[in-house]
Amino acid sequence: MHTSISDGTYTPEEMLSMVTEAGMDIFSITDHDSIKASGIIPGLLKEDSPVFIPGAEFSCRDENGKYHILGYSYDPDSAPMRKLVSTGHGMRMTKLDSRLRFLKQTFGITFPEKEVIALRAMDNPGKPHLGNLMVRYGYASSKEEAITEFLNKMKSSSDYIRPETAIESILAGGGIPVLAHPAYGSGDELILGDEMEERLTRLCGFGLMGVEAFYSGFTKKIRDEMLDFADRFDLYVTAGSDCHGKNKLIEIGDTGLDEVDEIPSRLREFLGDATQRSGRK
Amino acid sequence: MKIELKGRIDSNNAAAVEKELLDQLSAGGAQDVEIDADELEYISSAGLRVILRIRKNYPTMKIVNVSSEVYEILEMTGFTEMMSVEKAYRRVSIEGCEEIGRGANGVVYRIDQDNVVKVYFDAGGLEDIQHERELTKLALILGLPTAISYDVVKVGDSYGSVFELLNARSFSKILATEPEKMDWCVKEYVDMLKRIHSIEVPEGKLPDAREIAIDWVDYVYPLMPEDKAKKLRALIEEIPKDNHMIHGDYHTKNVELCNDEVLLIDMDTLSMGHPIIELACIFNAFIGYSEYDHDEILSFQGFDHETAVRFFYKVMSEYLGTTCQTKINEVVDKARVIGYTRMYRRSHRRNLMATEKGKAEAEQWMSELLELLDRTDTLLYSLNELDIEAEADNLTEVQTFVEECLAKTDCSPKAMMQINVAVEEIFVNIASYAYAPDKGRAVVRVEVSGDPVCVTITFIDHGIPYDPLQRQDPDVTKPAEDREIGGLGIFLTRKIMDDLSYEYADGKNILTLKKNLEEGE
Repeated sequence: MHTSISDGTYTPEEMLSMVTEAGMDIFSITDHDSIKASGIIPGLLKEDSPVFIPGAEFSCRDENGKYHILGYSYDPDSAPMRKLVSTGHGMRMTKLDSRLRFLKQTFGITFPEKEVIALRAMDNPGKPHLGNLMVRYGYASSKEEAITEFLNKMKSSSDYIRPETAIESILAGGGIPVLAHPAYGSGDELILGDEMEERLTRLCGFGLMGVEAFYSGFTKKIRDEMLDFADRFDLYVTAGSDCHGKNKLIEIGDTGLDEVDEIPSRLREFLGDATQRSGRK
Repeated sequence: MKIELKGRIDSNNAAAVEKELLDQLSAGGAQDVEIDADELEYISSAGLRVILRIRKNYPTMKIVNVSSEVYEILEMTGFTEMMSVEKAYRRVSIEGCEEIGRGANGVVYRIDQDNVVKVYFDAGGLEDIQHERELTKLALILGLPTAISYDVVKVGDSYGSVFELLNARSFSKILATEPEKMDWCVKEYVDMLKRIHSIEVPEGKLPDAREIAIDWVDYVYPLMPEDKAKKLRALIEEIPKDNHMIHGDYHTKNVELCNDEVLLIDMDTLSMGHPIIELACIFNAFIGYSEYDHDEILSFQGFDHETAVRFFYKVMSEYLGTTCQTKINEVVDKARVIGYTRMYRRSHRRNLMATEKGKAEAEQWMSELLELLDRTDTLLYSLNELDIEAEADNLTEVQTFVEECLAKTDCSPKAMMQINVAVEEIFVNIASYAYAPDKGRAVVRVEVSGDPVCVTITFIDHGIPYDPLQRQDPDVTKPAEDREIGGLGIFLTRKIMDDLSYEYADGKNILTLKKNLEEGE
């Protein structure tokens, strides 16, 4: 799930109390390209708090497509992780600058200086943030319109984190790299069958250790296919709700896990490994 | 409640679409959610997630009118397994198409050389289509040649079922355009009818035609004199239960010649029951329905009343296996009892009596029905029994009837001739003396039993008690001029047949003749 550090609506503090309220035993926060929550949450944990696993979700690309790669149980202070985050952040800032430039040059859209400063201060300002701003200043009637009619007109930059960079950095930072919502690619695709097989073969070659087979947006059929892939590639299985607070209508803890009678062994093994790694630090 | 999805749903607008849907849903407050995807062009995984989330709150949600592209995505991702997803139907126009059939639930049009579409009357026709598909499947499994629908389409606001009928020509069309093929049509039509009636229907698979007929009677019951209504109900109730198949709408538009194969279409009225109910519906289709206004048949079937009557009686003769007109009429009259009941009910139910013509034809049907009820004691018929006016003029009919009953046996020409002589002696005797000077009826029953093959012919009349066997055999040794008049007939009969017996019971003379057909061969 995501906090207000990336594109969620709840702060890490609020998230913790909601997780506690919901009676969950274990949880992780996987903000986009940010490991800030992993620094904040441990300080807030009490004796009876749920177990926390540090997490993050990195947007990656290569010639073959886009990927969201989760990193769990890394050491937040490790050099490789810090470098990965700062590279990501740097790219986002570069991208923000080129988007602002594009809006200005193509459509003559500009924002007051204070808004630009606020954008830069954010951990990872993206299209939704710019879209909201365009609505506020009357350039578009909705965030969706702003994105489709303006922001998407810009050719994307060739600057991105490659999946192997993310996977290798997470591993080097002592973490477990996992492919997020595999069947949905970077979020809006549908990758199944041979295409998925090809993807996993490649990513496993880089050291991928798990797949998010339980995901709030998966049907039973997709979930079963992902579990099947986990078996074939001998991967950990993880469960994620992708809860974004009020930005998406996903209930906290809705991972699809309640639909199975017992927790699959590959998920149990992941939890064991993940808690052990986090406990070490 | 119904919600429409339009255009594309992807990560750009998924959140907005979701919000809009939820607003509509919470405003509607309904539990049964139906998403109409008629105008949905594309859905990405972000859109799928929206649907998934809505379904979590509305588990009975279903999606209808899904294009094949979207359906493919829903199928691939398992949505079709977890919720009801109905494909959008191809749209077909029937403008200018030839009407080739009309059933209880819809009209069949030819859309091109090889395909026909059955358009259901009811706008909610999907259930009817499902129902008919199941019936058609059952008919195929049970051995009837028929066409199975391969596609469901939208025709205007109704639904249609598409069938492939290669080079098909309905029997109506053949009768209308190639009158010389009438006898061929009769034969094929009856072969198919017999095939239908020979099929035993597994318990509970089809409705009971008798129950349906009882419903017809119950409807007209209060509309006719009570004594007649009571009699009508008793007649129908007497029809035994029967598990053989009945088509229910067996007319020549529903029989198609397709690439030299005869196919049956329109299965929505399949039931099981006694064939007399089928014959009633056939009578209605060719005669009853257009009995008042002969032009009706021309506009419905494409051939005229005269052709319809000729075809109907030829069919009855072929089906009953007799050319004996008395026998055919007897069965037709029974069919008419049920047929008119149904026609009269139809007039009332469809409120057709509001017009002068509708009123006149309904009155005609009712008066025919009342007249028939006066002289009908049973709706059952037996193909080996002839009930006929005992008149010498009817001898040929009786003889023909007996011959036809024996046609399937290995009766030698000699034996047949002998039997004919015996039948003549006995029948003419009854015709001449049993009711003299009045008139009455006689029943002739022919039974064939096996090993050795033996025929039993029974003559029954209600005339004055008379035992012909008591009569002394005439002294045939006397010279002709000295012999008594009469008595020779029974003498001959004794000689020809192997056994004769007489009994008088319930006011009836019952004379039984037996002959062993294998004797001496």
